[in-house]
Amino acid sequence: MLLTPRTWLQMLAQREKKRLSLSVVWGVLAGGHTALLVVGLAWVIDQLVVQGRPPGSLTTIFLGLLVVVALRSLFQALQEASGAEASLRIRQYAREELLNKVAALGPVWLTRQQSGALATQSVEHIDALDGYFARFHPQLRIVVALPLLILCVVGWLDYLVAVFLLLSAPLIPLFMALVGMGAERLNRDQFRAVSRLSAHFVDRVRGMATLQLFGHTKVAQQDVWYATDDYRRLSMRTLRLAFLSSAVLEFFASVAIAVVAMYVGFGLLGYIDYGPSPSLTLFTGLAVLLLAPEFFHPLRTLSQHYHDRAAALGAAENIVAILNEPDMVPRVATAPTVANAVIELRDVTIGYVGRATVIEAVDATIFAGDVVVITGESGSGKSSLLALMAGFMAPSRGKCCYQPGAQVAWLDQTPCIIQGSLADNLRLAAPYADEHAMINALQRAGLGELLRQLPAGLDTQVGERGVGLSGGQSQRLSLARVYLSKAPLVLLDEPTANLDAATEQAVIQALLAWAREGRTLVIATHHPAVVAVANRHFMCDSGQLVEVVS
Amino acid sequence: MKQLYHDMKPWLLILLRRRQHFVIGALLVWITLLAGLSLLGLSGWFIAACALAGIALAAGLPSMLDIYVPGGGIRFFALLRTVARYAERLYNHNTVLTLLADLRYRVFGDLTRLDETALKRRRASEWLSRLTADIDTLDNLYLRLLVPPFVGLLCILVVSGFIAIWLPVIGAVTALVLSLLWLVVTLGYGWFGFANSYQQVNDQDELRRLVLDQVQASAELMSYQTNDWYRARVDQHEMRALSNQRQLAHKSAIGNAIVAAVTGMLVVGVLWLGSFTLAAGHVAGPILVMAVIAVLGMNEVFTTLPAAFLRAGASYGAAQRLNGLSAAAKDVVMLNLPDTSCGHQVVFQHVSFHYPDAAYSVLSDITFTVPAGERAVITGVSGAGKSTLASLTMGRISPTQGSVAIAGNAPSHLMPENRAEHFAYLTQQVDLFDGTLADNLRVANPDANDTQLWEALSQVGLDRWVRHQPGKLTTQVGEKGQQLSGGQARRVALARLMLCDPAVVLLDEPFAGVDQFTAQHIARSLDSWLIGRTVIYFVHQVEDASLLPKVEYCWRLAEGGLITDTLDYIGNN
Repeated sequence: MLLTPRTWLQMLAQREKKRLSLSVVWGVLAGGHTALLVVGLAWVIDQLVVQGRPPGSLTTIFLGLLVVVALRSLFQALQEASGAEASLRIRQYAREELLNKVAALGPVWLTRQQSGALATQSVEHIDALDGYFARFHPQLRIVVALPLLILCVVGWLDYLVAVFLLLSAPLIPLFMALVGMGAERLNRDQFRAVSRLSAHFVDRVRGMATLQLFGHTKVAQQDVWYATDDYRRLSMRTLRLAFLSSAVLEFFASVAIAVVAMYVGFGLLGYIDYGPSPSLTLFTGLAVLLLAPEFFHPLRTLSQHYHDRAAALGAAENIVAILNEPDMVPRVATAPTVANAVIELRDVTIGYVGRATVIEAVDATIFAGDVVVITGESGSGKSSLLALMAGFMAPSRGKCCYQPGAQVAWLDQTPCIIQGSLADNLRLAAPYADEHAMINALQRAGLGELLRQLPAGLDTQVGERGVGLSGGQSQRLSLARVYLSKAPLVLLDEPTANLDAATEQAVIQALLAWAREGRTLVIATHHPAVVAVANRHFMCDSGQLVEVVS
Repeated sequence: MKQLYHDMKPWLLILLRRRQHFVIGALLVWITLLAGLSLLGLSGWFIAACALAGIALAAGLPSMLDIYVPGGGIRFFALLRTVARYAERLYNHNTVLTLLADLRYRVFGDLTRLDETALKRRRASEWLSRLTADIDTLDNLYLRLLVPPFVGLLCILVVSGFIAIWLPVIGAVTALVLSLLWLVVTLGYGWFGFANSYQQVNDQDELRRLVLDQVQASAELMSYQTNDWYRARVDQHEMRALSNQRQLAHKSAIGNAIVAAVTGMLVVGVLWLGSFTLAAGHVAGPILVMAVIAVLGMNEVFTTLPAAFLRAGASYGAAQRLNGLSAAAKDVVMLNLPDTSCGHQVVFQHVSFHYPDAAYSVLSDITFTVPAGERAVITGVSGAGKSTLASLTMGRISPTQGSVAIAGNAPSHLMPENRAEHFAYLTQQVDLFDGTLADNLRVANPDANDTQLWEALSQVGLDRWVRHQPGKLTTQVGEKGQQLSGGQARRVALARLMLCDPAVVLLDEPFAGVDQFTAQHIARSLDSWLIGRTVIYFVHQVEDASLLPKVEYCWRLAEGGLITDTLDYIGNN
């Protein structure tokens, strides 16, 4: 079943149902205590002003009011804390779900994606769910319960005021729709304009070198200002309308107070002798006056949090698009049936959705200790075959058998350096290797010299935030990973592409060394020196895999 | 504290340059809040007065209560609150957007002064999204950290002053308690949450990098079966980040609870104190009611403050990062190259270059000379240092060792405008901007007329294609030139270059991504355009020497050094 942003948010909310409900309960209790406080205040004022009771006789009541204030604060804090906790847990789960999905989609899918965008999704977009779960979601329920509670209290005090508020109750969904429509539209328009504008800014920053080369920076700087200012003028036009909806809400809340004040005032003066009016006292009058804004308060809070919902929906849309992608990594592996075989391809066809078949009806068996090269033009399916053998994807037909759970060493033409120390980069291949083994692996890969020059040794930070490595050094680090790992099968995709002569030589030496160790090698390459290392040679040609017998 | 002020100062100055906006915006917020307080306070007074008058009337006593003025007042405040709220939101939004333009202008200005090395490190898309987020954070500073506390103070002043007219002691108590509360939820809370919110941004960055690595290393993680190990790393970091966020959430909850508790207790306290004044007959009942309700409404003034100030650390972090840009921005020695019509001589002497923090030298001991007006070609695999060599030639970076001289001058000392005038460089990765074709071409020469643009396009063989586009010269090229193919984008970039009149031309793979026929066409137009200019071609390898006519010098870059190539077909044309 395909997820939609809404269903996904609902599913997430379901996971933390208890905490979210608790947040609602605390919120209603806090609101209830506010009602209790204002009713209490009104009663005390009535006692003091009208009944003329001495202040000393009301000490208990004053203390009681302090307790109510303290409880209200407590409930309010609990509401906020449990909402925040629910949001934290939900976001943690959502990120886990997304990262699991990314793993299940596998390297083949990921090469087609912008990794920066994915990282943004898992951080910014997941965090954009915060406001929705911490505030909007509970408030959406509070907005139903709390006004009802207040209405009951008002009804008990003076049913005419309650009727008046109740009459405005059907207006509440209308307000919400108004507010919602306004906020929705505001958000949609703003979102588009903001992203277009940010794109403009980012576009210019990205091309800064070019602007400098042409001496065009001053003009571009002016452009940045004018573009933002144009956007301001444009967006003010939409905002004028969008803010109207919240002004309507504000207006009704204000009018309610004014109407109640008038009604109570005239009632107390005895100008109204309809219904409960003659029995109005300062107590009941003041209480209903102070309760009127509380009746509208949850709704106003909701409208303040409305952008949280829009932000969450926008973020969810992006994430759900990934969650809905079909998995590429096969769940189960089948062991080869032929004795001593490491990989067995049986009638394998590889194709990608929406593209022509890459390679068809492949039958091949690779035995332990084989050094296999696969040659062929670029796009002939060499890389796809390697990805298949590594278990990154499943064939569209046929069977690719390999030992389930067996470690495979992988090396391709773009050496991967992760943020962290040299040791962290080696741990990628063998998390529990000791220092001695790591140093040994680096030395065998020809990085011993470099390691000696680095004062921090294995703990030297490499990558963007640390020491920069040249292309050759990075590839040697990948070689060191293979040396370090005990993986019996080594898959290499164009390991000598874009390398200087010395590193190229190091790679070939490494291939020979691994072959001597008895590892099975499968290498996609077009490099004659690498082909010479192999004892079996396959060729990809027009969708077929043929073994070249020399 | 001093450091904090120093780091925030440039940004606060930008915000405060729009003083008028700030004052009007704050006043509008203030009026909105006061109108709300007055509406409820006056209503309370009115009800209490009516109650007393009603009792008097019932007892047959004469009562003089003017119901029209308070009634009118109530209606006025109800309307004022609505109108002021609307105006306030609109006005402040306008200010925020104006400030956004100011901030972006300023940051962009800092960026234009960055040199090649600094820019190189800042091109990743993650960095760009961080940059825009930082600017937005500072932009939000205005509505979250500047206006509300200022308005809060004004409200405290007015409300306690108003109460003090009838109840001086209670007015003083109110002022004292609320001022203390103000200090706690602004400065106190800024300090209280500083480390947490500062940390939060770093946590996010760290998490982003971890995920980025997971994506980029997915092949390794899956094949070596170390996914679980890596995920444990991510989880460990996430747990730390979440516990930090949890602390922030708790602090925010506590802050809001403090506001509710203090304002609530103050209300009860004011009523309790007032009850004695009332009993002593020093104040009328309705006035006391009004005072109590006014204090009750102060809650709203404070509600946004704790959460906003908890995030002060994040704003500081943003300011610090952006300050880093202006610190990295270099001002250069002012030097101008002489005008020439036959190119400049390019001389490299024992030049080495080492990026800061790199474990290797890109170039070491490079020596060569290209005489004025001559053409050279330098080959090398990608990563061999060709673009570094080009940047050194133009003086966009300075050599770690040795010297570069253009017509006898060190190019790194050139005025940026002068550099742009004398050099043209077709970069390996061409940048096109989101806009029309004409806009992109005019980056090179803002005064170029349409005829010149068409001429340049025909030189790269793009004129026919452009004529077939419905928009002609106003065809949109899309963000990063995505509407064009890679080859087309390079040709647009080359056409752009040919709108300039430089003395030294550096061309990195001018024929990449174009077919043989077009390459020949471009080579011919280049040949005549390059007359009287010094030229260095940078190519992967020379595949067709006929594309590089009149080349006298050929070198190959390998392992940081420069080797003279003796390919005999070079220069035969």
